[in-house]
Amino acid sequence: MVEVRFHSLGGQGAVTLINMLAQAGDQIGRHVQAFPFFGAERRGAPVMCFLRMDDQPIALRSQIYRPDFLVVMSPSQVDAAIAEGTKESSVLLVNMKEEEARKSLAHLPFAAYAVDGTSIAIELGMEVEGLPVVNIAFLGAVSFVTELVPLEAITEVLRENTPPTRLEASMEAARRGFTSVVEIKKRKAPARRERKNAAS
Amino acid sequence: MRLVETGNHVAAWGARLARAEVVSAYPITPQTQVIEEISRFIDEGEMDCEYIPVESEHSAMAAMIGSAAMGVRSFSATSAHGLLYMHELLHWAAGIRLPMVMVNVNRALGPGWNIWCDHQDTIAARDTGWVQLYCASHQEILDTTIQAYRITEDPKVILPVMVCYDAIFLSHNYMQVEIPDQEVVDRFLPPFRSLWKLDLDYPLTHGSVIYPDDYEEVRYSMFQGLDNARGAIKAAAEEYRDVVGNYHGEMVETYRMEDAESAVVAMGSIASEAKVAVDRLRDAGYPCGLVRVRSYRPFPIEEIRSLLAPLRAVMVIDRGVSFGMEGPLFSEVKAVIYGRSDAKVYDIVTGLGGRDVTYELICENTEAALKGKLAQETRWPAVRLNEHHRVSKQGLEGYWKKEGV
Repeated sequence: MVEVRFHSLGGQGAVTLINMLAQAGDQIGRHVQAFPFFGAERRGAPVMCFLRMDDQPIALRSQIYRPDFLVVMSPSQVDAAIAEGTKESSVLLVNMKEEEARKSLAHLPFAAYAVDGTSIAIELGMEVEGLPVVNIAFLGAVSFVTELVPLEAITEVLRENTPPTRLEASMEAARRGFTSVVEIKKRKAPARRERKNAAS
Repeated sequence: MRLVETGNHVAAWGARLARAEVVSAYPITPQTQVIEEISRFIDEGEMDCEYIPVESEHSAMAAMIGSAAMGVRSFSATSAHGLLYMHELLHWAAGIRLPMVMVNVNRALGPGWNIWCDHQDTIAARDTGWVQLYCASHQEILDTTIQAYRITEDPKVILPVMVCYDAIFLSHNYMQVEIPDQEVVDRFLPPFRSLWKLDLDYPLTHGSVIYPDDYEEVRYSMFQGLDNARGAIKAAAEEYRDVVGNYHGEMVETYRMEDAESAVVAMGSIASEAKVAVDRLRDAGYPCGLVRVRSYRPFPIEEIRSLLAPLRAVMVIDRGVSFGMEGPLFSEVKAVIYGRSDAKVYDIVTGLGGRDVTYELICENTEAALKGKLAQETRWPAVRLNEHHRVSKQGLEGYWKKEGV
């Protein structure tokens, strides 16, 4: 099972994001579960969401405290997101410009990736009342970092869920999200697997 | 057709596939999505149904009583304070023996105002004469809503059925659900044929005064109706499995109980999480199983007795509480094995107001119980001893003096 926790602000579209990721997971035959920590239906308030994917039916109903991936959609939320629980192998994906990410994420004890979802959203006109809606860019970025669902499945879900007038911009946002992720700090996971093999 | 949907939208699909003809409901968080989706179905011509918008839950149930008394298949949805507000009418619907189905999204009661999950709302409606079925998955919400019509319309039952599922953990969770074809559901659930209805040509008085001479007989027949519901629930589950294909247990669902020496007993989404706890406890060397109470009313007396009486220990998890007593499920589990078992029975009250219940918490408490470290009483393992606790220990004045407030 892979567990992902999302931290965002009300209005950034995190609930739609996890819904679409779940649909993409469904398309490739995974068992999926996606739910918000409910209550912050206010623009700008912190929102927490959870996504599970597995090859088996999912019995868990609780929140995620040791995520495989921690997705932070607002740069101000990195510390708050980490405070909600991580594990040693958690991998961060943060909405941040590369330069800032190299300064503020590199010292953290986690593998980390950055994507400038805010710029993608602004460039593609995805703003609601001045707030950049970064969820579609993050569809692509999450696909790239987690490798849970391929970009093709996401494209398909976008086709099914997006009004025709916005489809092209959405596809472009997802594609840019996928291609513009920057690795800030490498993962340790493969090294551990090698050690295990050596020991046996 | 497979969908990735919220539990609420799945409940709406249940009403649609059951061909509910009247829906009367008032929106309340976290139920609102149910009736939004039904409204959409009706508006888009996908559901041939009269939607009665009402100004309150009291009226919602009153209109349900009206439509059910006209022999029409009726559906409603509510939650928490909505359920409380219609409480008088819950008794009325059951007392005059009307078939209907209502989903209730289990939500905590205020004050303090809270839109998250616990079972206090439906526990408070326990003795209204309604059948209460609790779900643990999206598929079960759909299948149980459809099965509920077979139960409520069973001529030996004719009592309303409440389908309960947990706020947020199920209501707002996107999960997969298999939507059966309408023709398949139609084979399982034929159109409703009421044996009577309110009719101007044949006027009758329904639900009028009953003197002490007759009242007990009426209540006893309700008691029997709930008893008969046991058979109807089993038959509905079995036939549904044969015709549609899904199965979630009958009065109870069991998990790894075959060789179990101990068991966790729970309702709703906690009982799904508890499957993982049972797996972990088995990994740690405890032959533990799970009994999920699916039908709370009627209570699975025989099932609980035969499953739990031979065990060494039972851990009950209550997502509600009877103030001044203990966890209600705890009381009832003990009551049905009384005098027939040497099992030690433990209880935790947890998950109130949406507090998360993890498999780790279940494992920890069950393991402590199995090691004999706990008393056989209701405990609140997740509670922090903060100022609320100190005020209740010292009284408000004592607390002020001591804390120098």
